[in-house]
Amino acid sequence: MFVYIARRLLHAIPTIFGIALIIFVLFNLVGGDPTLQMLGKHANAKQITELRHEYGFDQPMYVQFFEYLKQILTFDFGRSYATKQPITQMIMNGIGPSLTLAIPAFFFTTVLSVSIGLLVAYYRGRWIDRLMVIMCVFGMSLSSLAYILFGQYFLAYKLGWFPIAGFETEWPDRFAYVAMPIIIWVVLSLGHDVRFYRTALLEEINQDYVRTARAKGLGESKVLFVHVLKNGMVPILTNVVIEIPMLILGSFLLEGFFGIPGLGGMTLDAIHNSDFPVIKAMTTVEALLYIFGNLATDVLYSLVDPRVSLK
Amino acid sequence: MLTPMFQKLITTGVACLVLVSLVAGCTSKKKDPPNTVHLSISAKLKGLDPVNADDMYSGIQSSHAYEGLLQYHYLKRPYVLTPNLAESMPEVSADGKTLTIKIKKGVLFQDDPCFKATGGKGREFEASDIVYSWKRLADPKLTSSGWWVFDGKIVGLNEWHDESAKAGTSDYAKPVEGLKILDRYTLQVKLTQRSAQILYALAMPFTFVVPHEGPEMYGQEYINHAVGTGAFKLQEYDPNSKVVWVRNPTYRKELFPSEGEAKDKESGLLEDAGKPLPLTDKLVYQILVESQPAWLSFLAGKLDLSPIPKDNYSQAIGSNKQLNPELAAKGIKFAKEPQLDITHTSFNMTDPLVGKNKLLRQALSIGYDDVQYIETFYNGQALAAQGPIPPGITGYDLAFKNSYRVYDVAKAKDLLAKAGFPEGKGLPPLEYITLADSTSRQSTEYMQKMMSAIGVQLKVSTYSWPEFQASVKNKKGQMWSFAWGADYPDAENFLQLFYGKNGSPGPNDSNYLNPEFDKLYEKALLLQDSPERTAIYQQMVKIVVEDCPWIFGSHRLNMALTYPWLKNFKYHEFDHAKAKYYRVDPLLKK
Repeated sequence: MFVYIARRLLHAIPTIFGIALIIFVLFNLVGGDPTLQMLGKHANAKQITELRHEYGFDQPMYVQFFEYLKQILTFDFGRSYATKQPITQMIMNGIGPSLTLAIPAFFFTTVLSVSIGLLVAYYRGRWIDRLMVIMCVFGMSLSSLAYILFGQYFLAYKLGWFPIAGFETEWPDRFAYVAMPIIIWVVLSLGHDVRFYRTALLEEINQDYVRTARAKGLGESKVLFVHVLKNGMVPILTNVVIEIPMLILGSFLLEGFFGIPGLGGMTLDAIHNSDFPVIKAMTTVEALLYIFGNLATDVLYSLVDPRVSLK
Repeated sequence: MLTPMFQKLITTGVACLVLVSLVAGCTSKKKDPPNTVHLSISAKLKGLDPVNADDMYSGIQSSHAYEGLLQYHYLKRPYVLTPNLAESMPEVSADGKTLTIKIKKGVLFQDDPCFKATGGKGREFEASDIVYSWKRLADPKLTSSGWWVFDGKIVGLNEWHDESAKAGTSDYAKPVEGLKILDRYTLQVKLTQRSAQILYALAMPFTFVVPHEGPEMYGQEYINHAVGTGAFKLQEYDPNSKVVWVRNPTYRKELFPSEGEAKDKESGLLEDAGKPLPLTDKLVYQILVESQPAWLSFLAGKLDLSPIPKDNYSQAIGSNKQLNPELAAKGIKFAKEPQLDITHTSFNMTDPLVGKNKLLRQALSIGYDDVQYIETFYNGQALAAQGPIPPGITGYDLAFKNSYRVYDVAKAKDLLAKAGFPEGKGLPPLEYITLADSTSRQSTEYMQKMMSAIGVQLKVSTYSWPEFQASVKNKKGQMWSFAWGADYPDAENFLQLFYGKNGSPGPNDSNYLNPEFDKLYEKALLLQDSPERTAIYQQMVKIVVEDCPWIFGSHRLNMALTYPWLKNFKYHEFDHAKAKYYRVDPLLKK
């Protein structure tokens, strides 16, 4: 396994290099000149030249690219054009609020959707299955913005159950501000996840070994939770583990609308402000998380399913 | 029926969600003082260092902690400057090139650990602090977007800037000829040429006073600290979420103004006249980028003041342009004041087609109905612009009517024919560059519709903001729409947008060039506010209106709603420290 992991890590190097190259080309050649934006409406030619020099934009492209590679290696992405804050610090500061929202939301989503998936797979074709399918399709059809606007207007403003928006760094005040976004996240994700797990578990529930287990007299809980769920773990893991590193990135819309100072909102602001260093850093971080998330998924496959071996 | 196992499972899931909801109710119930002012900001902040305060929000925040030599009178209109850290208005020499500024004695910087020599106690502000702060503005390493306010205006400061850029480091100890400390409380400023606008610079956040101990101790992290002489002291700062200010206990004695406009007395704005500032103990700013949560927070009484978001306009204002009865019943007040700004569509004057054909530009201007645009896009809350100078600034002439801004399709077609393109024949589609956001897209569709009605086709190129800026500065495209907000209340700030030497990448984005206009501009620059200068301004307006480098758009109105418990709110375009005048009546808020 260690050889496999080492080989995958070695493979990741050219992948990261390629991703870095694409990101660099996209932002440096297509993205426009950031100096105009930084200097504002009174920019003049001399100031533009000075600023380009100060930020190293007048350096040859290959020098700027190696500078970017250095940033990836040292995890020091410089400062944001818009907020002037060190980007690494911005990322570190944003992880906490993002995870405060994402971890409970992800946990509840996974537990609920696997449970409901199992339930509807078990009752396949019955009224509860049909009802769930209708609810899932309905849930997936509505835009996430609709849930947010509804939640803020009715649950927070009209009923006063939650704060409308905002964030507190202190506990337990922080919970109050993330509760409604968590519920919206869960409701938003259930439709897709339940359908996915239902399909994955249905494949297992009709297998011969399930019939054999029942014939041996095993109870339904044992059949479902020990046999079906364990064998259905591979698709579940694929869906779950790949998402875990991404949780750090938070949610663009939820963080933006609820004023949660996490990485999702930060990325959205950076896009609005064309704050390229932040967008570049977040794109890089996302790519790295994806690569390592994939590797972790493969390793976990071998742990939950003895049929999978890593070579 | 469900099996007991699944019933248990579902019960657990629902219980978890209920738990989340219950946890939502857990707060430590921290109480703010009853006279706390709650406000919102719709953008993330660029830090608190005055040299970076190039947007309204950062300007407002840094103005709570820092102060300039001058400030705007809070109530008087038209806007007038009054002394702030300066003891009196600067003495101007006979040739207008030397300013002698005496500063107030006994003004203290806020207590901060950066004052190591006094164990964290803020020391007295002195003239050398002004020199230090203005050199920071000129420091190439700090890349301040506010350098333009002094660029080329103070003797020796540009040389200091250039030497610093060349050396890669700035020597703050090196004297600048134009910034001479006469004594601890007196500064002499030598200008490269007389300037009527330089005094406005002394009231802009860029030039606010910073003690050298702050940046020396905090370095690049100084953007997250605030050590000034201002009315408020920073208590909590998260540039993405929240900013909290509390009364500065060492703030000097500053009083609420006792005079203003005639209407101020009857609207209760002089009730606190003569009271020491600030009137509130605490300011809490919530950063809410999206307008929906900010609007709902206001309706729920969590914010004391709110603009009216475009999408919520009909909720707030009725068809009679008055506040909706539901909000009026809550005692909410509706304030509407003209902003000192202008929206416009620029023609690329370097373009061989639109730049060289005045009749074509005039035809396009007459063929564009701004009245309907104002109704559709600003809910009627804007004034159609006749020229570049907005109302409220000396030089604006209420009686002046721009003959090329009277919407008339027949006349537009006639001019188009005279321009050599009858019914638009022979005229290639004009390249109109615009932004990719939804409002810009809708405005562009409106422009296309207007132009199409007179036989002119547009070829639309859509860009991101940096690409759009780059295209404009590189003189690409033939037309684009823009807006300009005043930096200070002088018509020069608008007329400079047509000055030849300010061409791209400067603020004259249309690259308009008219030697007669330039000559008048240079002449007006040397004059103080006077009937002679006003006459020159109006002459310049007539020239530019006739040449038509822009389709003049509109001057927008600022609309704000306040709860009855928030006292002393008056719209002010330039006084970023206005919250020091606000007061909350706790009895009304209950």
